[in-house]
Amino acid sequence: MRSPITIVMRKELKDALRDKRSVMAAMSYAFFGPLLMAVAFYVLISQLTDTSDVKIDIEGAEYAPAFVAHLERQGIAERDEPWPAGQQPITLAIAPDWAESIATAQPAKVTLTADFSSQKQRTDIRRVESAVEGYTAQLSYIRLQMRGIDPRVTQGIDLVKHDTATKGSRAAILLGSVLIFILLSVFFSGMNVAIDTSAGERERNSLELLLSQPLTTNQLVWGKALAASAFAMFGGFLSAILIPFIFKLLPLHEIGISIALAWPMILLIVALLVPLALLATALQLFVSFRAKSFKEAQTYISLLLMAPMLVVFGVEFARVKNQILYYLPLTGQHQALLDIIKGESLQWGAMAISAIATVLVSMLLLRLISRMLSSEKVVFGL
Amino acid sequence: MIEVKSLQKSFGKVTALNGLTFSAPEGQITGLLGPNGAGKTTCLRTIYGLLKADTGEALIDGIDANINPLEVRRKIGIFPDKFGLYERLTAREQIAYFATLHGLDGEAGAAAVENVISRLGMDAIADRRATGFSQGQRMKVALAQAIVHRPKHLILDEPSRGLDVMSTRILRDLLRELRDQGTSILFSSHVMQEVAALCDQVVVVASGKVAAQGTPTELCEQTGETALEEAFVKIIGTDEGIAA
Repeated sequence: MRSPITIVMRKELKDALRDKRSVMAAMSYAFFGPLLMAVAFYVLISQLTDTSDVKIDIEGAEYAPAFVAHLERQGIAERDEPWPAGQQPITLAIAPDWAESIATAQPAKVTLTADFSSQKQRTDIRRVESAVEGYTAQLSYIRLQMRGIDPRVTQGIDLVKHDTATKGSRAAILLGSVLIFILLSVFFSGMNVAIDTSAGERERNSLELLLSQPLTTNQLVWGKALAASAFAMFGGFLSAILIPFIFKLLPLHEIGISIALAWPMILLIVALLVPLALLATALQLFVSFRAKSFKEAQTYISLLLMAPMLVVFGVEFARVKNQILYYLPLTGQHQALLDIIKGESLQWGAMAISAIATVLVSMLLLRLISRMLSSEKVVFGL
Repeated sequence: MIEVKSLQKSFGKVTALNGLTFSAPEGQITGLLGPNGAGKTTCLRTIYGLLKADTGEALIDGIDANINPLEVRRKIGIFPDKFGLYERLTAREQIAYFATLHGLDGEAGAAAVENVISRLGMDAIADRRATGFSQGQRMKVALAQAIVHRPKHLILDEPSRGLDVMSTRILRDLLRELRDQGTSILFSSHVMQEVAALCDQVVVVASGKVAAQGTPTELCEQTGETALEEAFVKIIGTDEGIAA
């Protein structure tokens, strides 16, 4: 005779696989998360590596044709079309006494007017500035040389910049946000199945008969939890294996980032997600077995989803660093994933402890649910 | 043998069962007759252990469902107050699900499912998903779930509600057949005709107590009425909640 847990699990899986809504929910989050990242990164990269001409307004170009020609060689051209709505014009105004200032070796006055706080135009403004600075440097060189002075005397300090940010650590910042998607995918993907097997069972009036069958509530709850967490795991698995593929398609090398996630690492990520999927399901079942209908459960669960989001985002952005994070459910997996992606040495012990802690919390929750289902108050809503 | 001994159950201030005592012996159909709110569903739920009685006990073959619920549930088939189907499963899959929960899997399970499907004349709908089933078809599935494991005790909570004449006939024939095979059948109803047509023994329940007990004929004799309906009204002292 088969174990009742297996019987319930198989039935719930069969039922859920036929439910297009559940399957779509599991798949779409796993797909859309990474896809969204891909689009966001694509835009970011193309902005960072934009080499097209910067078109600005140049006033008084007729006073300094050589200067304007220099700007053009640097990819800064006079604008013919009007500025798009919502963009402050960048204006470079050359003073009419340019020729005189050059002739008398005085500083020639050029005014740059722009919105310096604008995020979008920052690179444009920066390029205008450096083109102007380049021309200034040329001028000073010529002026000094004409006076028989070594132009190097003007350089008090030769600042040599060594960028110690490795490609990997720059990638980590980027991947930190990707991790959030992987972690949350287990929370999103199993949600529909979890609701359907609990609140749905009550809504379609099949709970009473099921509870009157010769199996313990514990077996029933475990069967349902395993089925729903299989879906959660499926979503987690999909997003974990999709994300490296998407990174391969993006021209990340152009911004000096290299991400090489070897397959063993991806398998490790998937393995880390397994206990988390069980926890996500246990939490969702715990909430939705109390709900009387599918809708009610959905309301509760969307509130519940805030919890893991807050935890992960909180740790990510507040940059909390504490060893205890490695041992707790959810934050433990988060930290381990961060280490994997940064290519740092892995804390196997901590990983095991957080996995065990996650499983224990899930078991406790499932035990509470089966207690709940033995109570006539909860079952009949008395 | 289903025995109910001085069951007492209250929900807050409402007393649902107030010392209910009766028994449903093997090879008999026992009807639990009472107006709405008399405590029929509460009594049945207590028998299969979903509700816990405040005092008293409900026994199936001498086993108390509050003490050993799994043992009791193996011995009974249940047609509950509310029966929802899994809309995405076929009739056959639903029945098979409950058969496996009762330990009937593999070939024995498939044979038991096939058997009950042909007994209830469900071949046409057996491999269709439950979405779109009529009330009668749903009832048949629920009934098949209750009897697929050939339980020695069958408990039905108002099985004939919402059924047309043909479905009611199938139900009655089935219950008589099971009774002749030695099953003890307990069913609740507030439909007089059904009780009169089917029951070997009637237990009239009112306000959580047994108001009268006996065969339909005995009840009529006790009250000096010729029709069971009149006898019933006389016994419970009101005609509230009775359907003819």
